[in-house]
Amino acid sequence: MMSEPRYLRFPLAYRIEHWVLTLSFTTLAITGLVQKYPLNSVSQSIVGVLGGIVNTRTVHHVAAIVLMLEVVYHIGVVGYRVFVLRVRPTMVPSLGDVRAAWGTLLFNLGFTRDHPAQGRYGFEEKAEYWAVVWGIAVMAITGFLMWNPIASAKFLPGEFIPAAKSAHGYEALLAVLAIIVWHIYHVHLRNFNKSMFTGYLTEEEMLDEHGLELADLQAGRVDAPLDAPVRRSRMRVFVPVYSIVAVALIIGIYLFATFEQTAITTIPPAEDVVIYAPLTATPFPTALPTQTPSSEKPTTWDDGIGLIFQSGCIACHGSASSMGGLSLGSYAGAMRGGSSGPVIVPNQPDNSELIRLQAAGGHPGQLSGDELQYIREWIDNGAPEK
Amino acid sequence: MTSQNIAPQQQTCAPRPTARTSRRWAWGLAGVATLTILLGVVAMQMVPASAASTRPAPAEQTPSNAACFACHATPGMQTTLASGEGLYLTVDPQVYNDSVHGKMGYACVQCHTDITGYPHPALTAPTHRDLTLELYRSCQACHPTMFQEVLDSVHQKALAAGNTDAAVCTDCHGAHDVQPPDEPRSRIPKTCQKCHSQIYDQYKDSVHGAALIGDGNPDVPSCIDCHEVHSVQGPSNSPFRLFSPDICAKCHADSTLMAKYGISTDVFRTYVADFHGTTVTLFQAVTPGQEPNTPVCIDCHGVHDIQNVNNPDSPVIKHNLLATCEKCHPDATTNFPASWLSHYRPTPQHAALVYYVNLFYKSLIPTLIGGMGLFVVLDGFRRIRRHRRGQNDE
Repeated sequence: MMSEPRYLRFPLAYRIEHWVLTLSFTTLAITGLVQKYPLNSVSQSIVGVLGGIVNTRTVHHVAAIVLMLEVVYHIGVVGYRVFVLRVRPTMVPSLGDVRAAWGTLLFNLGFTRDHPAQGRYGFEEKAEYWAVVWGIAVMAITGFLMWNPIASAKFLPGEFIPAAKSAHGYEALLAVLAIIVWHIYHVHLRNFNKSMFTGYLTEEEMLDEHGLELADLQAGRVDAPLDAPVRRSRMRVFVPVYSIVAVALIIGIYLFATFEQTAITTIPPAEDVVIYAPLTATPFPTALPTQTPSSEKPTTWDDGIGLIFQSGCIACHGSASSMGGLSLGSYAGAMRGGSSGPVIVPNQPDNSELIRLQAAGGHPGQLSGDELQYIREWIDNGAPEK
Repeated sequence: MTSQNIAPQQQTCAPRPTARTSRRWAWGLAGVATLTILLGVVAMQMVPASAASTRPAPAEQTPSNAACFACHATPGMQTTLASGEGLYLTVDPQVYNDSVHGKMGYACVQCHTDITGYPHPALTAPTHRDLTLELYRSCQACHPTMFQEVLDSVHQKALAAGNTDAAVCTDCHGAHDVQPPDEPRSRIPKTCQKCHSQIYDQYKDSVHGAALIGDGNPDVPSCIDCHEVHSVQGPSNSPFRLFSPDICAKCHADSTLMAKYGISTDVFRTYVADFHGTTVTLFQAVTPGQEPNTPVCIDCHGVHDIQNVNNPDSPVIKHNLLATCEKCHPDATTNFPASWLSHYRPTPQHAALVYYVNLFYKSLIPTLIGGMGLFVVLDGFRRIRRHRRGQNDE
């Protein structure tokens, strides 16, 4: 049995274009939609895998540049076919496509018995191709506004930037949904079309999807090959024109990506303030003035000895709080002594506990040398009250 | 025990209130009451879980406060530290007795644990500050939870790094004069002011600070509502800035609270929906350790000096907005600030272009995708039908 005839549908260059588009589109869709839905946990996981939102945006931008370069190349391919080869336009929509779409709908609804036959590109493919053209145009324009908001706002009201962001996000959603519903159905579900992998369709597939093209091919109605001199003369015009267009577009893409430095990279401090600025500390007050010593040497409790005890001792050994049971607030208290016995023994200063303790030094209410001397002499004189 | 055992019985007898049962009722009530009191006592013991549980009752302490005050009530009592700094040794008994600790009857020596009698051990701390840094550790004994929180704070980190100015317990709470720190609530910023006076000066004139300090408004944030209390974090050495929008959202996304002041709660949602907020949200979710490169609330609205958005000095009021944008977008020009929708949801009146773009796509997407879906489904069904018929024909 002879092998089934097959028909070349997509040469390798077409297939490469398609896969560059697929790769850049998918990358853009993933890295873009995660930004449209940042609260979604799947979005956050994807951003995590990509190493954070800054990386995600870089990937998005790189994919955008790849897609734009693919557009520049595609313009060349189309230009070559239209201006040099001057082949029949197979992708241009026509009334025939509307009829084919309507006919398909009627057929699907069971109103007609025959499915309309279509040419090289069916209405499904033309719709998708031109949707991609429209989508890329919208995405490029709105993408430029978002990538260069300051430059854009020099010529446009600022509101165009958030409007562009909205359109960019919705257009992306539309494109992704269209791919899922339209492309996946027509190319993968209806009949797994392998021509974008192998380049070829079988005769049965051609009959089913491109009946008119198959009839043309079988009848030998194909574009006549171009004469070499004609081709050369057309190329002399096409090559320089396309070169200028391509260079202009590539410069445009370069500017697209580098036109402005939108923001500084590090956020400046939110406020300029000295963090540690203590209120002026309360200075340590100067010491209290010392008691002016009396000019006369005190000899009795009443004429000064009592005052010495009053100023130096009664904080602890006063009537209110008598530490050690000792109150030096009054003559009687002083002579009574403390819980461990008398502290003043008249006429015997060396046997008086008060003198012994004060002479040793270091007592909290330490008396001065003069004061201690007066008290010693007072005790020596019998510690008189008056 | 007895009354507790009786308590369940009254439940079974309750439907028939005879003389006997009413006596049981009485027993039961008594049981319930006892149980309630017991539980109450237990609960009261548990409430100050961190306080006073690890310390003996004040009465058992020696020397007594009276003994301490016998000397330390003396006005002007002072000593000189090794550095030459003076140190007051006087404690006003009235001030102490009015303090939270004094009112509870806590003893001086519960904090001054090295004092067991007279003479006292020598003061070895060369400076006043060194002495504070020795003594504040006493707080840990009764307040271990708070003390533990403080260990995570920026103050303790600074202290550990050798900055002895960093605040310890007593710097904020006082020592002998400890009072409830938030009575009145305006006391809180005044406490922080002691070290952060410049920030206080900004805060006191802010929309929040003026309302708290001037009007005693209970709704506005004081320092600790944003910075936490004992575990206070430094805004510069932590993910504080990254997560700060969540702090603002605590109040500004609370519709009940905001309704009181006629403030929109859309602010948080619209922020997250915008480029800046989306970025911050993804930083929070994915790279929380990194500093986000887009602004959070405070970068535009101000930090401690935050103003009402209608205040002519507000950085986000229309005539100041460009200058605010220029902080990060130095090349921005007149039209640029309008690219930020000022927390408004797009409406025909505000941001009409955005509104109509949204409306366009909200109509287009269902129509187009719905149409495609319908077409595809019809095509699919027809193919399946034809396929079956083809099989039947064979």
